[in-house]
Amino acid sequence: MTARTQTQKLPAAFAQVAPGVSAAQIDSAQLGAITHELADVHRARLADLFASESEQGAVVLRAVYAHDTESRYLVLECPVSGPLFPALSDLDPAAFVEECEIYEQFAIRPDSVKPLNRMLMPPHAEESFPRLGRRPRPPLKDVHARHVVAGEAFEFPFGPVRAAGWESLYMGLVTTGEEVLDLYLAHWHKHRGIERRLAGLESERALFFTERMDGLNAVGNGLALCRAIESAAGATVPTAAAHTRSIALELERIYNHAAAIAATCQTTGLSVGQARAEIVLERLLRLNAAAFGHRYLFDVLAPGGVRRAPDTAAIREQLPGACAEFRRVVQALLRTNSHVDRLETTGVLTREQAERLSLVGPLARASGCTIDSRADHPFAPYDQLELAPAVGEGGDVLARMKVMVAEVAASERLVLDQLGDAGPGRIDVSPRSAAALGWAESPRGEALVWVAFDSRGSIERARLRPAAVRNWRAFDDAARAQNVFTDIPIIEASFWLTVAGFAR
Amino acid sequence: MSEPTADQLRRRALALFGRSLHIRTVDTGSCAVCESEIRLLSAPPYDLHRLGFFLTPAPRHADLLLVTGPAVRAMDNALLKAYEATPDPKAVVAVGACALGGIYEEDGLVHGALDRVLPIDVYIPGCPPSPLALLQGLLVAVGRLEERVAALSFDLVAEAER
Ligand code: SF4
Repeated sequence: MTARTQTQKLPAAFAQVAPGVSAAQIDSAQLGAITHELADVHRARLADLFASESEQGAVVLRAVYAHDTESRYLVLECPVSGPLFPALSDLDPAAFVEECEIYEQFAIRPDSVKPLNRMLMPPHAEESFPRLGRRPRPPLKDVHARHVVAGEAFEFPFGPVRAAGWESLYMGLVTTGEEVLDLYLAHWHKHRGIERRLAGLESERALFFTERMDGLNAVGNGLALCRAIESAAGATVPTAAAHTRSIALELERIYNHAAAIAATCQTTGLSVGQARAEIVLERLLRLNAAAFGHRYLFDVLAPGGVRRAPDTAAIREQLPGACAEFRRVVQALLRTNSHVDRLETTGVLTREQAERLSLVGPLARASGCTIDSRADHPFAPYDQLELAPAVGEGGDVLARMKVMVAEVAASERLVLDQLGDAGPGRIDVSPRSAAALGWAESPRGEALVWVAFDSRGSIERARLRPAAVRNWRAFDDAARAQNVFTDIPIIEASFWLTVAGFAR
Repeated sequence: MSEPTADQLRRRALALFGRSLHIRTVDTGSCAVCESEIRLLSAPPYDLHRLGFFLTPAPRHADLLLVTGPAVRAMDNALLKAYEATPDPKAVVAVGACALGGIYEEDGLVHGALDRVLPIDVYIPGCPPSPLALLQGLLVAVGRLEERVAALSFDLVAEAER
């Protein structure tokens, strides 16, 4: 990349299409030019890149840029004719995963010479393998695995079936025996084609699938979808319902961070720490069930509002105790040198790496990036709440743990502060012939959903971009940073991503 | 789980195998929440180990397969290998609405229900089934294994003992 002169302004004027979202229709030449310009804008990052194909076979490419200082998302729409689309990853490496996905799904290729990687299409996929696009499938020889094994190194295959409680994932560890030289992942074993399944559905059914696509982020991804649906309908949800949503979202963050810390103990072999963290986790899940009727907060949201109000008395009674217990566990962990030693300087991601790959969530914050869509792109009720993103330093496993600990405390306060305002509430939303972007800060970071409705109110195209899609791309960087074999599970626990979210 | 059930389970597992029961899990496309509940089985509030159950990473040591997800076709190979590597008598437990066929329609990506791929002994409903529901399902699976051992011919038993 060229040296960046950091400017604050956006290169061109874009029309605002919804609060916090601007859009523009451009051609492929402009897309490259704008990407180039945006690369120089301070805190502007590529948040997503995806394609859609009309029934007539017209393909449109959409690039979503987030300008975090101006609290704006930019949706750039660019028609693609022919078999090539403008490659953005030469300018912005964060685009690479999405470019490979577009190639697999739509059989159009980025116009660069780089070999592509396999993302969600299995190597043995037949011609009939369900895809989003209609063009004939690309020849598979075009897709390469990324690893190179040479010299003393060999590839240690691991997965896809793994230990109990760990999702199916294939890891190719390239090693000389101890140090991990390279690592590549295959997520395709869990690809269920959720984006494809949403086409033709009504909003409510789409929410059902979106919550079950990546259940540990059911509220985060579900809220992003609901907000996209509501934005497309031009609707605003009742205030009490917005507070209820925020309470569910923060409870989701709290239990996930506790689970990540339990898993970190599991991977360092600290059974006592794991047991104590899991006791807290179980308390938090029971609290979710007492507050909302579901341990993992499924079916709290509804397009246009919420399905239920929380049992605020249960939260007020149980949350402070569970969070206090969590703090005691964490203090004990931080005093356990044998544990802390395994976390320090393990799986380091520098701030430059995090920015280069446009990472999101606690992972990016632990590397020193001030990025949190609750603060950067606020919507009700976050625009009324006091937020201070927890930014860490060092970018190692310990930094991630500390960011999560700080976020649990912050989320606890957010939940308790809103209990008086939360309630039920739901309005009718039936968007027709409209499209919109929605977002929410899930426990793992910014979740994005873009959805387009046809004239009958069914979904034409839904793009789901959970935080996992963003953040898995940094896993090999973190794994390569002078780590040995046994560090890999520790790094995975500290990332605490879902395979389900990436493979969707 | 109430103590009589826990006791009952441990005694039956012991009587049946003269040792603890080993469980191998396979995820065929879950949303990660069923995995989370399985993970909690060994946490102190449920403590699977006190019941004589152990989670094993090796199918060859397993008596029970605990399978989540809608049976994504891309997992066929790995799933069948795990099944074949698990020695007889074995029981297969389908975990969660996905595995039972309640979420995904069959298509080119998923079978949509686990029993389209493997013979299932016990179905545990729920989205997700709570850890208690999982323990209840394991108890039923032990019952199935008992029947299966009882049905073995004497020749086979003698052979196994030799
Ligand atoms: S049954 Fe429900 S909780 Fe379990 S994997 Fe499927 S969607 Fe997730």
